[in-house]
Amino acid sequence: MKNLQLAGAKEPGARSVIEVRGVRLGEEFVVVAGPCAVESEDQVVRTAVAVKEAGAKMLRGGAFKPRTSPYSFQGLGLKGLKILDKARRETGLPIITEVIDTRDVSWVGEYADVLQIGARNMQNFSLLREAGKSGRPVLLKRGMYSTLEEWLNCAEYILAEGNPNVILCERGIRTFETYTRNTLDLSIVPAVKMVSHLPVLVDPSHGTGVLGLIEPMSLAALVAGADGLEIEVHIDPPSAWSDKDQQLTPEAFVRLMKKLEILRETMAGLDARVSEGSAS
Amino acid sequence: MTLERLRADIDRIDARILSLLEERMEKAILTRRLKPGTRDPAREAEILARVAARSRCLAREEFTTALYGSILGESRSLQDAGLRLVGFQGTHGAYSESAVRAWDPGAAAVPFPEFGQVFDGVLDGSLDYGVVPVENTLGGIVGQVNSILVTTELRVVAAVDMPVAHCLLVAPGQDHREIRTAYSHPQALAQCRRFLERNRLDPVIHFDTAGAARMIAEERPKGAAAIAGRFAAELYGLEVFKEGIQDAQNNRTRFFVLSRTAPEAEGNKCSAVFFTDDKAGALFRILEVFARAGINLTRIESVPDEPGDYAIFLDFEGSDRDPGVARAVSEASALARDFRMLGCYTEARL
Repeated sequence: MKNLQLAGAKEPGARSVIEVRGVRLGEEFVVVAGPCAVESEDQVVRTAVAVKEAGAKMLRGGAFKPRTSPYSFQGLGLKGLKILDKARRETGLPIITEVIDTRDVSWVGEYADVLQIGARNMQNFSLLREAGKSGRPVLLKRGMYSTLEEWLNCAEYILAEGNPNVILCERGIRTFETYTRNTLDLSIVPAVKMVSHLPVLVDPSHGTGVLGLIEPMSLAALVAGADGLEIEVHIDPPSAWSDKDQQLTPEAFVRLMKKLEILRETMAGLDARVSEGSAS
Repeated sequence: MTLERLRADIDRIDARILSLLEERMEKAILTRRLKPGTRDPAREAEILARVAARSRCLAREEFTTALYGSILGESRSLQDAGLRLVGFQGTHGAYSESAVRAWDPGAAAVPFPEFGQVFDGVLDGSLDYGVVPVENTLGGIVGQVNSILVTTELRVVAAVDMPVAHCLLVAPGQDHREIRTAYSHPQALAQCRRFLERNRLDPVIHFDTAGAARMIAEERPKGAAAIAGRFAAELYGLEVFKEGIQDAQNNRTRFFVLSRTAPEAEGNKCSAVFFTDDKAGALFRILEVFARAGINLTRIESVPDEPGDYAIFLDFEGSDRDPGVARAVSEASALARDFRMLGCYTEARL
């Protein structure tokens, strides 16, 4: 891939580690969890406490929502950021929240630990530049019609502003399949690792949009080498104001986290075990 | 002309009416000590006559005289309430007023434009106490206050050490995407310089922090915010856009509570001021007294007085009723020029 001066892999095996309040993305397997949208203080704080207990390392939650319809709930805006701040103070979990407007970048940066740029804004170049200038770590989601090269070029926009803290996130792409909301492209995870040094997360919630697929695809993402997951969890999914069909209950999330833990132990030292086996 | 526009105007006018009412009540309370009794029928009649004469069109006479009747009634009962009057420099909502409230939530805090007026008010008995800032962790000593402390006859009866968390305040409903300027006292603006740069806000100098908040509430300039304390936001009905926006988090101010007489209760901290002769080791010998007595000094500050002469402020731990402290003080007084105890008091750390 041409012209990936900063996003491209430099030496084989060298990975970027992005530190956010003591969480080392790219080094440890990090699960980011939380509701689709910030609805109320009670909803966010209770969800935050639940996901932290289950082992999540960061909290997600949208205050500014990019919605397909202008008539859908657009997010609580600044008030939502203050609620996230409250949840961070209660749990210590760093905050990831989406920014959709260049005029909001500095203000969202005042509250959030990581700025999320959503799939629909992946190629909003002025937003990418502004997020780059903010100096805050940026979680860059893959656009639903984007190739790996286009995606990495968008990361390049942020990096070129002197901000080295870019985290990629695969969240499914559009295909002819309609059973799932998107087609989660897990093959992109090892592909990213071959051509770039940036950490890559997987979002199985948007990637599948089907409750029953979130757990298996989360496990598959771990096996595929993802640096972490971003999962939607709601304290009471049926009452959610958005994405109610793809948000896990805290109970389902606990189960998933336990399975991930077992899988991680099973996977530990896999390469070493293989070479040991061939030596004997 | 839209309903929204008109209602915004009405809100602005209400903010001013309330501020003016507050100010009127303060002046009324202050008159109490300058007249023989609360009630002064001649003066009340004079006010009501003037109100009646000025009433016209929509503010009809029956309404305005009834309104003033109730204002005068409230003013009389406030004068009779025997409130503790505590002066501070600044506008309502100032950090000094937060210090007054921290020290005595029930006191009537009365604002004055100048520090000198606060000292004078306590001295002449029109105020019971004065609360003044002495030093700030980022800004250093408050020069004007310390200069007056060198010569004042007032006693320090308490101290309050308080964190200062600057907030960005905006009028309710202000779109954050349109904020362009931040009004505040130059020191607050300097303490928030990196925040302002990050968010591309132009600093605009105002005479004080709470005054800027009041101006935003009353005038609602377009795209403008104020930097002041949370208390100012509550007072003027502003929204706290973000709290704790100062660049350094250890921003604290220490306030003295001043009175004409020493406190009855025993304190745990003392303040003194003195001069030394202009010769080698003069200051050292005085400080040595405290070192030998094992008394911990918490503040040493020199303030220029006459050319070449410095007043030395000394704060130390302990009570002047402790014989060890009393002995050290009398030894130090013998070595210094014009050694004066400012007070022995309890310091509250918030």
